[in-house]
Amino acid sequence: MITIEFLRHRNLAIDALTIKPGITSIIGANGSGKTTFLKICAGIELPDRGTIRIDNLAPRETEIGWVNEFPDRNILFANVIDEIASPLRFHRITSCNKIDTDIRACAESINISHLLNRAVRELSGGEKVLVSLAAALVHRPTVLLLDEYDSHLDALLAAQINQVIRASGARYVIRCTQQMDTAMQSNQLLFFDSGRVTHAGTPEHVFSFLKGTAYYPFLWMR
Amino acid sequence: MKISLNRAYAVRDHWSLLASGTFNQGVHLVSGDVGSGKSTLALMMAELFPLSSGRIEKAEITSCMLSLQFPELHLTGRSVAEECTSWGISADDIVVATGLTGRKDASPFSLSRGELKRLHLACIFAKDYDLLLLDEPFSSLDCQEKTKLCTTIEQKSRGITVIFTHEQNILPRVSRIWEILDGKLIDCGRPPDAFLHWCHVPPSVKRLTALGLRPDNISMEDLQEAACRIQG
Repeated sequence: MITIEFLRHRNLAIDALTIKPGITSIIGANGSGKTTFLKICAGIELPDRGTIRIDNLAPRETEIGWVNEFPDRNILFANVIDEIASPLRFHRITSCNKIDTDIRACAESINISHLLNRAVRELSGGEKVLVSLAAALVHRPTVLLLDEYDSHLDALLAAQINQVIRASGARYVIRCTQQMDTAMQSNQLLFFDSGRVTHAGTPEHVFSFLKGTAYYPFLWMR
Repeated sequence: MKISLNRAYAVRDHWSLLASGTFNQGVHLVSGDVGSGKSTLALMMAELFPLSSGRIEKAEITSCMLSLQFPELHLTGRSVAEECTSWGISADDIVVATGLTGRKDASPFSLSRGELKRLHLACIFAKDYDLLLLDEPFSSLDCQEKTKLCTTIEQKSRGITVIFTHEQNILPRVSRIWEILDGKLIDCGRPPDAFLHWCHVPPSVKRLTALGLRPDNISMEDLQEAACRIQG
């Protein structure tokens, strides 16, 4: 379980929240605190007050995979293959064969093997997101955090990536999305409003409070 | 007023795009998969990407604006106010319109991506351009802001607006639909007839069409009108 208690950070104010293993989607308006929340889950930022524990560990003691909402800020290296290899090299895995095998398996699972020998600057916005996702997954994280990764993907690719995410083996996947069709396909849904989690539960439960708003999935309208 | 692409051909190391067709006044939607060349086509139409062959001709177009997919690439101001001023517009009006009141002195990089996109689009729509090229304008916007953007685009009374996007759910009413397939720009025609040939047709349109209730266009209002026919 991920447990959050009395969290206060910037505009975030969450007294108590539990996130179960599986896929959790976060929806809400721009500026409602979604990205800040993900950064705290990743250990990128430490909360001003309160605690967050991931299976009783601090985020910084947990293997995290992170995909930034700005693809260009996510990428450190000039070439795709070096970018995907970087988490393995940062973990001091020295076997070139293992690194090469893991990179190719990961790239194949995301269907980007054809990009491996490309320079990052040649990639489209969507392709950069896919490379970032591969780098996030290649070291098999416990927690995979995705910040509006799908805003740069077409529908078909987003569906394929959702399958990859499900098969990734990450114990927790927490993703911000503005695609309600994606949010529908989650184990747990959180609705953020002005830094607070105003609705939490299954997608059916949360969306029942959002009827008549732009967040309600069209495919559910009757 | 129109922009005509006559076998306009662009080549990159691993990829090429061939585009022919005429974009008249109105709102055009260009769809395509990731990496299909939507952004490159936008650059070509803005004369920012060299053609290997063919030509692009503009008639009666005196002003053109390209809105890039990533709003941070447009930034020149160190603060929200400076950024607005760099576009030649009043920061006071923009911060109110974008809900950024009280953040005029904030760095644009301190905004969330959605807030930055809102700021950027507000600066774009503060002026009237003959040719407006919008590369992924909906990315990073929340559902309410996407809906507002649709209204803004639909209310543009003149000029040519071309939207390059993979957005499938919240879209404005458009006059013509195009898509990029296998390195070629395809003219799917005007909605609703375009739905017959459009490979990237949104699932909601596909679903309604399968029920025999083809919406007139792709906006949420058109979809809801068609869905209401089911209820009736």
